Amino acid sequence: MDTLVRIEGVSKVYPRVHKSRERLQAFVSLLFGRTPEHGARVLNNINLDVVRGQSLGIIGENGAGKSTLLKVLTGVIQPTYGRVMVHAKIAAMLELGAGFQPDFSGMENVRMKASLMGLTNLELDERLDDILAFADIGEYIHEPVKHYSSGMVVRLGFAVITACRPDLLITDEVLAVGDESFQKKCIRWIQQFLEQGGTLLLVSHSMYVVQKLCQKALWVHAGGVEQYGEVFPVTQAYLAWHEKRNAKEKERQVRATGDGTYYRIEKLKLAGGNDEEPPKFAMGEDLDVELQIYSPDNRPPVGVVGVVRADGTPVYGVVSDNEGVIPVKLADHYYSFHLRLNDIALLPGSYNLSAHSMDPEGLRVFDNRQVSFMVTGNTKEAGYIRLPHEWLD
Amino acid sequence: MIPEKKKQFNWVFFQNLVVRQIRQDYLENITGFAWLILQPLILLAVYAFVFSTIFQARLPEAEEIGFVPYLAVAFWPWTAFSEAILRANNSITANGSLIGKVAFATAQIPLATVTATFIMHLIGYLAVLVVLQLMGTDMHWAYLPLVLPVMVLMWIFACAISLFTSAIQVFVRDLAQILPPLMTFWFFTTPILYSSSHLPPVIQKLTEWNPMAWFVARLRELLLFGEVNVDYKSLLIVLFIAIFAWASFRFFHRFSGHFEDFL
Repeated sequence: MDTLVRIEGVSKVYPRVHKSRERLQAFVSLLFGRTPEHGARVLNNINLDVVRGQSLGIIGENGAGKSTLLKVLTGVIQPTYGRVMVHAKIAAMLELGAGFQPDFSGMENVRMKASLMGLTNLELDERLDDILAFADIGEYIHEPVKHYSSGMVVRLGFAVITACRPDLLITDEVLAVGDESFQKKCIRWIQQFLEQGGTLLLVSHSMYVVQKLCQKALWVHAGGVEQYGEVFPVTQAYLAWHEKRNAKEKERQVRATGDGTYYRIEKLKLAGGNDEEPPKFAMGEDLDVELQIYSPDNRPPVGVVGVVRADGTPVYGVVSDNEGVIPVKLADHYYSFHLRLNDIALLPGSYNLSAHSMDPEGLRVFDNRQVSFMVTGNTKEAGYIRLPHEWLD
Repeated sequence: MIPEKKKQFNWVFFQNLVVRQIRQDYLENITGFAWLILQPLILLAVYAFVFSTIFQARLPEAEEIGFVPYLAVAFWPWTAFSEAILRANNSITANGSLIGKVAFATAQIPLATVTATFIMHLIGYLAVLVVLQLMGTDMHWAYLPLVLPVMVLMWIFACAISLFTSAIQVFVRDLAQILPPLMTFWFFTTPILYSSSHLPPVIQKLTEWNPMAWFVARLRELLLFGEVNVDYKSLLIVLFIAIFAWASFRFFHRFSGHFEDFL
């Protein structure tokens, strides 16, 4: 197999550079051929081979070291330890503005960038029309780049890359800046590039994009490789890890506010439902909702009740204090809302009844709970909800 | 598998850098270009006034040439040299955004700055030489082709110094404050405003080891007196600059991979 990039035991320590004494020390140690070793360790012993024709997605939370890894790969920074071997024509688009100089016109920047990527002036002249067509920013090409929107900068940057025909395309989270149609254009171009045997390294927070474009994924966590392999297992593991972390986070928040000292949902009940299976309602039935909220300071809380499709699409929601409703006090600290959704117009399907508790001011959401239910019926209408209608002559 | 690809000197990119630098520094506005000629011209007038009128400076070996041509022939190359070094000093820091995002041979940046400054001042130099001729100074135009290698050598010298200073500047920001007075000191210790024959013998001996004094002397010889003086010392200077340039590249490469960490 044709290895384009090999990374062996790469670690990166960003030296401390804030005080001038530290800078001077770093200077002296570099002068004597030593690498400054004190500082923030961003990458830790990473090994990676990028093979020709492969498309690799690099994922990981913010600050995991993804961008640093790309910078090491492209040769923008030197690793503190380890080796990087590159055997390919690389086109990289790191961060916004990818080396554009704000004071110069788009055209001048295209010239600079193209020459940086190894295009001769003649080649550039031949491909200039393609570049301008791809960027599609019209007369702005003669304006200074500092007057560009971030989307326009990315368009131009990517347009130059397409003209350079690299072996290996490395891109950071930049495509997300372009508008919908430009993103699609880029993705189409990348797909075509991959079909023609191109190699891709992509950093993205969008698992959708990673799964769509990459065969393999590398999950970077705290400067090390957490997982490496086929794209689906790795991205799923990553998402699962995120969910777990979010759950933990929420638990911590709950604990931070103290046990029982926040507006907690005590009970959310749908009349007719039991705990075993989702309750079923026929279209046109009434939906009786009972929502009990614990109030730590004994003031009447605000309740929110809504209906959500099983796939998460919100259908309807209502907030108690918007309608001037004050809950019934059951006992000290315990309040209850009783809501009836009359004559439900929901079309058959699975739904969730979703409730939130808020403070008496209606400013902060403290808790939420969902119960699922089903609506049954025979109808060929489409959508979520039946709108009152009549066919006229 | 080829080991890590060396970041190579990219000729097309370098050309673009030089052109851009020239446009940015000199052609951005019409006055920029005018000042390129005007500023040294005014300085020249000031020095000429102060030295020939107030101090009544005498030039024993160039009585018939006069002070102004004597000064001008040396002053423009010095301006190019000094301005190139001062501009290049900040060039790495100023191009931090580029260095942090694209991998390329960083040395091209200070080198392009030095080159752009030299090109622009050489144009000014030629204009001044023509003006001197029109004002009645007998310039030795036949020796003009020999001026070129002298200027190229001076350019290499400026490049080498800039590789040192611009690399150090990334780590020691104070250099930007230290360098201008150092260059002023160098200016006054180089026989530009005066002839080295004015100097006490001890300092005259020392001045012989100042490469800039050598450059200035050669330029005056060629253009004002039509003499060519190549001796063992010239060879030593060439050798010194060659070694110095090589050392500057080695020095720069030791640091260039780490610039991004310190920008």
